[in-house]
Amino acid sequence: MSRFTRKFMPLFLLTTLVLGAGLAYGQTAAQPGAQEAVKTVPAPAVAPVAPAAGPAAKMSKLEAAIAKTPQGTAKGQINPAAAPGFMGIPGAPHHLWLWYILWGVWVGWIFSSVGAFGGIMAGVGHISVFGLSDFSSSFKKTSPTLGKLLTDSIRTSNQYLVGLSALISSFTYYRMGRLVLPLGLCLAIGGILAGYLVPLLTVGKMNVSVYVGFFGIIVFAVAFVLFYETTPKGQEKKKAAKAAAKAFEEAHIKKSGQVSAEHAKGVQVTHWGLSRIAFTFYGQEFSFNPIWPLLGGFVINGISALIGVGGGFLYVPFLTSVAGLPMFIVAGTSALAVLVGMIVNIFNMMVIRQVPVDFLLIGTELVGIAIGSVLGPMTSKKIPDIWLKRIFVILAIYVGIGYLTKGFLGHSILPGM
Amino acid sequence: MEMPWFFQVLDPYLIWGYRLFGPALLNFVLGTVILVALSLLLGEISALLASRAVRKYMDRIQGEASHYVRLSMDALAAGDRQAYEAANHLANEAFGKTFFLQVAQSGAFFWPAILALAWMQYRFFEVEFPVPFLGFTLGFIGMFILIYLLSFLLWKRVKTLFSPGRREQQTFHDPGHLQALRGEKPVPL
Repeated sequence: MSRFTRKFMPLFLLTTLVLGAGLAYGQTAAQPGAQEAVKTVPAPAVAPVAPAAGPAAKMSKLEAAIAKTPQGTAKGQINPAAAPGFMGIPGAPHHLWLWYILWGVWVGWIFSSVGAFGGIMAGVGHISVFGLSDFSSSFKKTSPTLGKLLTDSIRTSNQYLVGLSALISSFTYYRMGRLVLPLGLCLAIGGILAGYLVPLLTVGKMNVSVYVGFFGIIVFAVAFVLFYETTPKGQEKKKAAKAAAKAFEEAHIKKSGQVSAEHAKGVQVTHWGLSRIAFTFYGQEFSFNPIWPLLGGFVINGISALIGVGGGFLYVPFLTSVAGLPMFIVAGTSALAVLVGMIVNIFNMMVIRQVPVDFLLIGTELVGIAIGSVLGPMTSKKIPDIWLKRIFVILAIYVGIGYLTKGFLGHSILPGM
Repeated sequence: MEMPWFFQVLDPYLIWGYRLFGPALLNFVLGTVILVALSLLLGEISALLASRAVRKYMDRIQGEASHYVRLSMDALAAGDRQAYEAANHLANEAFGKTFFLQVAQSGAFFWPAILALAWMQYRFFEVEFPVPFLGFTLGFIGMFILIYLLSFLLWKRVKTLFSPGRREQQTFHDPGHLQALRGEKPVPL
């Protein structure tokens, strides 16, 4: 791939997103029932200090769902006189903005000290801590449309919070890494397919209980990985890897830095086929069956589109551990897949499906995540890595059981979920 | 619904840029350019502060990742598959740490942009710009992202012009071999 193409591909993709997003958004908004006429920017002569109209003024999809909901003070009803909360809905859970920042600090701290579990905690915040899941499920019988719209909003918020933050990291690695084009293409095709199909099949159709149940499954998967890393077997594997790397380092320490003409060729695709694609890198041949990265891209981006967490960070372990590919070329290739996947997901959820999100909630949480990212490295010296993982294994099992039972049995057997 | 108090405080200042001229489209674009510039500036400052605060730790884990990536490349060059797999596994683990720290640190860059969108949601929710000849319209989110993206690319170019060494600092895990692949002088390990 030429330097020019590499440099401008992200720009091209993002520009496509932006233009497409704007056009599709406008197209949907201009449909009957959304808005009667296209308006232009008002240019008031005097700067008003008085409060402006809230977001609810144009949330056609949300507004329509609220309008269909019975009014009253009972469960599953909307009380127009109640104070507005989440997304401006009267009576919806409302918290002091400082609370969102504090939760963000917790998420940021986990991201920077434990890793992937930060994304899970971002979801736990929206589902349980801020009470959005219970609020959404209260409309299960009275206004299923509103309940499902709120579920979609929760998962899109998760996606914004985690996906947006992963974007910069992905760009950095994309710039640094080498690209294995056929691999990146297979991942991206799988990801695009999932990014299109999952919202198509689930937006406006998924009850919050089903969503919470699936979320519980993902939490258990993360708990399992964390648990394995703390077991003697997991520790032994790491020790053995370190020993093998050290032995090699000692034996070859003086030979490094020498690059032969064979190695200087970089990534060379030697075979394109439906069942096998092969390339050489550093004089070694690597091959893969295209079905695996296609499937991997589909599953990984599918999880991201369905739950709102995961996605990006799973590509690298998948490619290094499952496909056995070199870390250096994996970083750049997976970054391309992350970028494409995120563009498709956000485009689909936010623009085509018009799922409303609360930018104030996401923005304040991001402030907290930034603070937490600074606190994580400070505390990591004081808490051994293995103990940190053990603590989060317990937490993950608790959350996993809570969400699985809440999602599939109808109520959580553990408090606070 | 009322704006939160902090938006009410900022509102007269943020709306100022939207009232400089007569034509509505020009006003909106100019106001959004100012808002985007503020978001970028604030994001840049807070990202700089956040990265400074964790620089030592970041250098350490990035160094670890670089080390194992380099080692895996060496093992590959030497044809030692076992050592390659071991080093690649460790590189993956070290990469995970840097990835998630960067994920969290990215929050420091994006929060002003998202809060700007939150403010715009109160102010310009009903605003639509017709796209000539196509019959489509562009909402406030599309306009903001478009202007943000263009300003971001321009800002990056300006930064690179004023600090040419910056690009080199970012290629932290680029082993000497890979520099050689690009025809540059290999760095001794």
